[in-house]
Amino acid sequence: MSRRRREGLRARLLRHRKDPRLILGGLGLLLLLATAGFYLVQRERDLPSFLVTNRVLLFVLWYINVVLILTVLFVLLRNLFKLLIERRHRILGSNFKFKLVATFIGLSLIPVLLLFAIATELLQGSVERWFNTPLKPVLGQGNTVAQALYEQIERTDLRAASRALAEVGGFDLKSATARARLTRRLQELQGELGLDFLGIYEGTEFVQAVVDPQAGIANLPEPGQDFLNEVLHRRQALRREDRPAGRGRLLMAGVASATSTATAATAAPIVVVAGSLLPPALAEASEALIQNFQGFRQLEVQKDDFKASHLLIFLMVTLLILLASSWVGLYLARRVTVPIQALAEGTRRIGLGDLSHRVEVDADDELGVLVRSFNQMTEDLQSNKELLEHSNRELSATAERLGEERALLAAVLENVAAGVVSTDADGRIFTCNGAALAILRQREEEVLGRRVEEAWPDRERGKLAALLDHDPPAGQGSREVHLILGGEWKTFEAKVTPMRGPGGALLGRVLVIEDLTELIKAQQLAAWNEAARRIAHEIKNPLTPIRLGAERLQRKAEQGDPGLARAVLDAVEIIVREVGTIQQMVDEFSRFARMPRPRPTAVDLGRLLEETLHLYRNLKPGVEIAGGVAGPLPLPEIKLDGEQIKRVLINLLDNAVEATDPPGRVTISAHANDGHLEIQVRDTGRGIPPESKEKLFLPYFSTKGRGTGLGLAIVHRIVADHHGSVRVEDNAPKGSVFTLELPLG
Amino acid sequence: MRATVALLCLFFLLVLASDARAAAEISDFKVAVDGDRALVSLKLDRAFTSRLWERVESGLPTSIVYRFLLEKDRKRWYDTQLKENTFEVVATFDAVERQYAVNYKLDGKLVQSRMVHDHNALAAAMTRIESLPVFTLDRLPGEWRLLIKVRAELGSKTLLAMIPVAVATEWTESRKFRGPAPRQP
Repeated sequence: MSRRRREGLRARLLRHRKDPRLILGGLGLLLLLATAGFYLVQRERDLPSFLVTNRVLLFVLWYINVVLILTVLFVLLRNLFKLLIERRHRILGSNFKFKLVATFIGLSLIPVLLLFAIATELLQGSVERWFNTPLKPVLGQGNTVAQALYEQIERTDLRAASRALAEVGGFDLKSATARARLTRRLQELQGELGLDFLGIYEGTEFVQAVVDPQAGIANLPEPGQDFLNEVLHRRQALRREDRPAGRGRLLMAGVASATSTATAATAAPIVVVAGSLLPPALAEASEALIQNFQGFRQLEVQKDDFKASHLLIFLMVTLLILLASSWVGLYLARRVTVPIQALAEGTRRIGLGDLSHRVEVDADDELGVLVRSFNQMTEDLQSNKELLEHSNRELSATAERLGEERALLAAVLENVAAGVVSTDADGRIFTCNGAALAILRQREEEVLGRRVEEAWPDRERGKLAALLDHDPPAGQGSREVHLILGGEWKTFEAKVTPMRGPGGALLGRVLVIEDLTELIKAQQLAAWNEAARRIAHEIKNPLTPIRLGAERLQRKAEQGDPGLARAVLDAVEIIVREVGTIQQMVDEFSRFARMPRPRPTAVDLGRLLEETLHLYRNLKPGVEIAGGVAGPLPLPEIKLDGEQIKRVLINLLDNAVEATDPPGRVTISAHANDGHLEIQVRDTGRGIPPESKEKLFLPYFSTKGRGTGLGLAIVHRIVADHHGSVRVEDNAPKGSVFTLELPLG
Repeated sequence: MRATVALLCLFFLLVLASDARAAAEISDFKVAVDGDRALVSLKLDRAFTSRLWERVESGLPTSIVYRFLLEKDRKRWYDTQLKENTFEVVATFDAVERQYAVNYKLDGKLVQSRMVHDHNALAAAMTRIESLPVFTLDRLPGEWRLLIKVRAELGSKTLLAMIPVAVATEWTESRKFRGPAPRQP
């Protein structure tokens, strides 16, 4: 067989060695061999004993057993050796496999070997007991009787043959007449001696013979050349001849004369053969006795071989069972341990991070389900890991981008002039930029991570904490907040913006505070500049007629005009009137400048509103004046400077009534809103152009073309002194709404 | 590994198959060359033990196998086997007729049958070989030194009640002899 063919065969065997059909076929073959062995044991009594104890059969059986022993040893030792090697190398699952295989082998070895030992002992004992029975003496005695019968007849025949030889010695066998007499004499001797056959031979040549016609010998017996030669050689001999067709056994005794007694010419000695026919029944019985004894002797001689053959057959069957059971045990152990070992190895590999590992074990039972689940789990783990890695990469990129954005935002926040403070949903500050820290005169560690109430416990900063405590009212942009920080009066614009998640959940709030102190100062300076310009302008207007009057008087006086007196009177009248105008202007300015600080007292707001409204009812026909307090206020009396607030309301009602053409309506309302008192003056008048809204509260700004332009500036000043705010918005469908927000309490 | 296991198996089998030494021994082993035939004569002494007599008397066919090897003699190396032949003598006792049938088989072929009627004749018939032509020496170079080895195999016995082993005599060598001289054409 070529090497390629051998390798091909080996590859096919390796490929198919786990093929269930091959395994079942092997088991079937073993079962067949075991069955054949068992059948052989069962049928051995029907087999010829020489076959059972045949030397070749013994050797064949022994070699089969040797091969089986070696095969079993090879299978067991090979597996045990492999298991020991695996245990020594601490291969995962080897301990479990060793225990399982040892259990299987033990379960198959122990009972089979025990059964073999017991059965062998029983077999040996049974054989010994069988040969120890009194059968042998019985058979021996039977054989002796039969042999004695034969020997007695043979002795009788021998004596008869001797007598006949003595009788026929005197006959001339060549003479015809002597032969006739010889025949008669032979017949007489046959009768006298009770023989069934009597024959005369000259050497080995037949001369004459007689048979008893009553004996049932159909044909004349032929003693045979060998017998006659033996008689001639030994002078006498015996022969037991089986008659054909079951007609008994002829016992013959032959004697030979020493020399020829008849004539000298006769060279060959005379041989007389006397025969007695043993009847068939007696012959068969005696022969059976002899054969039975011989059969027993044969069994006895072959006893060792007989036992050996039985033991070998039994050993062969035992080994076949052992081989089958150990093979099945190993196969079952392998069916269990191989998947478990593969799973353990797979677990170890996966534990080391090799998620691409798969358990490649063919199993179709629960272990197969386990293996498939394991592989599915590994595949899921791998895909999840890849997904996680992908997500992680994306997350890292996002985090990097966010970091950059955050750094950029932080840089922006650090570089903006406005203070930015953010809180989480629990009101805990998590960002506070440098501007905010500078504005609030705090260090970072004093605010970060703390709740706003803890970070800003004092009264002034507590105003900011109150802003962050709740969302601003809808539509409210920013609020002006006045704080005294480090002994300085500061004005801030504060804006709170809630941060909400996708579901509307509050994530936190952002407070942006802008220091308006310097801006207000600048605005105030600009206002004062504007006021000075307006004052100068207003003063210059009266001064011009005064100057012109003075120059007219000077001219008339230099010319000596007779109308000088009249001119003096006119000039004085002009001067007095214009000075009065200037005086009025100065008085009003003085009043604005000297506006006192508010002195809050408990004020009945409803009464205050009613008194103010009362001043304007029926003031302008066609314009309805209405209003009051809407809903219950948290306190019956509110701490305000009543006079100043009344002045504020009068200024606002003045402007509203003036701006509202009949038919129209002016309403004033007050209500509490989230800790603030909100007072609104609403009219249906002309409204305010957007470009004028920004300057509306500046001193000396007026859209009416007359008046001092100080009314709304005074309103703003009083409201600010009450730590409140004022704003103007358009009324729907027309007109304006002025809203005052004053803190309660 | 597998080669080792195979060698161990072979060794085990050889050990088990080794023959048990018989008490019998071959004597007067002589070889004569007759033309191109080698004729052997020998006597097998102490072959008939009580165990063998029991077997013969039981009527079982009992054989003695004489195994002959024709070898070329080499002085400094092992002899080379040229031919092999067997001569089997099988005796079967007929208890009814009280006679022993002795058959002679040369190389598996029956060459002679005899009937003997007593122990001495049987022993002589089975243990005496006279001028038996076991090998033909034609086509063998005349200058070769030849020898014939013989041993007698007397059946088998069992060890440990189950291991059969063959009972045989030691190998006996003849004297060295030369084959017939090549004939002149």
